[in-house]
Amino acid sequence: MKKSGYSDLIKKSPLKPIQDHMEISQQSVAELLIFLDHAVNSRWEDATSSRKNISDLENKADKLKAETRGLLTKGIFLAVQRSDLLDLIKLADEIPNTAKDISGLMLGRRMDIPSTISNSFINFAKEASQISSVAGDAVGHLEELFRFSFGGNVADRMQELILELDNLEKTNDQTEINLRAELFKLEADLPPIDVMFLYDIINKIGELSDRSQQVGHRISLIASR
Amino acid sequence: MEVIALYGPYLLISGCIFGFLMAWGIGANDVANAMGPSVGAKALTLSQAILVACIFEFAGAYLAGGEVTSTIRKGIIDPVLLTDSPELLVFGMMASLLSAGVWLIIASFKGWPVSTTHSIVGAIVGFAAVGISAESVSWSKVGSIVSSWVISPIMAGIISYLIFRSVQSLILNTQNPFDNAKKYVPGYIFLVGFVISMVTLLKGLKHIGLTLNFQESLTYSILIGISIALLGSLILRRVKDTYEKRGDVVFDGVEKVFGILMVFTACAMAFAHGSNDVANAVGPLAAIVNVVQSGGEVAAKSSMPWWILLLGGGGIVAGLATLGYKVIETVGRNITELTPSRGFAAVLAAAATVVLGSGTGLPLSTTHTLVGAVLGVGLARGISAIDLSVVGRILISWVVTLPVGAALSILFFYIFKSIFS
Repeated sequence: MKKSGYSDLIKKSPLKPIQDHMEISQQSVAELLIFLDHAVNSRWEDATSSRKNISDLENKADKLKAETRGLLTKGIFLAVQRSDLLDLIKLADEIPNTAKDISGLMLGRRMDIPSTISNSFINFAKEASQISSVAGDAVGHLEELFRFSFGGNVADRMQELILELDNLEKTNDQTEINLRAELFKLEADLPPIDVMFLYDIINKIGELSDRSQQVGHRISLIASR
Repeated sequence: MEVIALYGPYLLISGCIFGFLMAWGIGANDVANAMGPSVGAKALTLSQAILVACIFEFAGAYLAGGEVTSTIRKGIIDPVLLTDSPELLVFGMMASLLSAGVWLIIASFKGWPVSTTHSIVGAIVGFAAVGISAESVSWSKVGSIVSSWVISPIMAGIISYLIFRSVQSLILNTQNPFDNAKKYVPGYIFLVGFVISMVTLLKGLKHIGLTLNFQESLTYSILIGISIALLGSLILRRVKDTYEKRGDVVFDGVEKVFGILMVFTACAMAFAHGSNDVANAVGPLAAIVNVVQSGGEVAAKSSMPWWILLLGGGGIVAGLATLGYKVIETVGRNITELTPSRGFAAVLAAAATVVLGSGTGLPLSTTHTLVGAVLGVGLARGISAIDLSVVGRILISWVVTLPVGAALSILFFYIFKSIFS
């Protein structure tokens, strides 16, 4: 059959798989919350199956990342900067990876969260999940943003989301500081190696929020160009 | 002279068969490029697209196809030089139809984006320059045709860029895109009606006995534009700002409004395509028929029999019905990314450019014009991803088609010459 000149000209939009990828990333963070709840209450069997879900989601995300990159080959002329989209997918892909790391580490070491800080700990993770869902919301507007040519209501909504993201991230930073302070008070009474890993987990959850925030900023850059 | 007298009916019948096959090929392949965006954007269903194509391709061919047909028939070669050997013109035109047809079939199987127009023009220039004499070719005309092939995609690109930029600032980038779409889309519909009728009235209708001066054409075109825009507004009233699923694409209110607009641009595109591309099949046939029917006289001032256009139009419809609908479906499926708000800008720009070509008697490639128009929308950041390597491939096929079309037609020309003499 004849390949007509211009039906080959118009390629599949890379925006859809990027949105799908972010959707999966959000799901992995939501699943991480479930995992943490099991872990804090030492329900390790439930935690194992939850960890499996996170790992599956991470695999799915990897496939979507590969698909997106496949659509961003050289010689493609895009409505947005190719490098922006590549950066975006790279940053976004660290979210499910980090969720997988956290769950893997905690499950492998059967890590106990001291009951005095467990509430703060869960709260900290919840904030991280909220940040990723706002970032996901922003990414979810990417296609709409393109449809309305990067202007109008969608662009305004996007900037609102970015502001919200910044505020949440500020709160989350403070929560992290407080959580570390609480742990610092306890650390003398806990096994040193466990404490080391606890700090590591807190770090990683902090990274989760950072990545989500960076994703949001990349989106606002795309929107404003 | 004797050859014509002896074999006249055979030449006529085989000319008709070749012409019909050529028209069939245009219907099977080329129409898909003209209608593809509208089907891909889900502005028209497949059967609606075929209906629109049948009606407007035919209308375009009959009402506005005269200028390009006459270029193909007697603009590229000077028939007066062939008064002594009219059979050469008949052989040459038959060879041209055959070579363009063969080349298009090969290209279709190989998947090369080859233009019917380029094939037929290359073929006519080929047989005339080598088979007759280099002086028989009107090189200045050929020069203007070739430069129009360069200019038309660029022009379509600039127009589509400007149209889409206006859509951005008037409709998409506003706080209330849906209301603005309803407000401004009738204006674009006016533009569709105005441009098409202006070019047609100004240049096309002499052969059906209607001669209008510039002032009259302008007045009538504005009236036609306004009435079409009013019709559009009536239809637009029923469009609601709700989401609607068509196939696997979700349409919001704005795209639904542009979907209505795209029905009009689809008609314009079919009309433009008919007015320009039918000539590729009908032009050579008209030259053959003229010579044979006049018993060997190469009459430059003869009119074209009406049944030739009927044959051309019929061939296109036959091509559409047998294979074209499938190709339209394929092309449409591949370009669903071109939503109505983008697709209309590309199609309108291409249709306007092509119809302008038809009015000035320049045979253009509809497909290449559309490629230029799509690139224009892309440059305005209207299309999320465009593969620029395809443009290179089109350029190569462009360059290759001319010598190949010429070589094939020279070959067929000498074969015919040896068979009949």
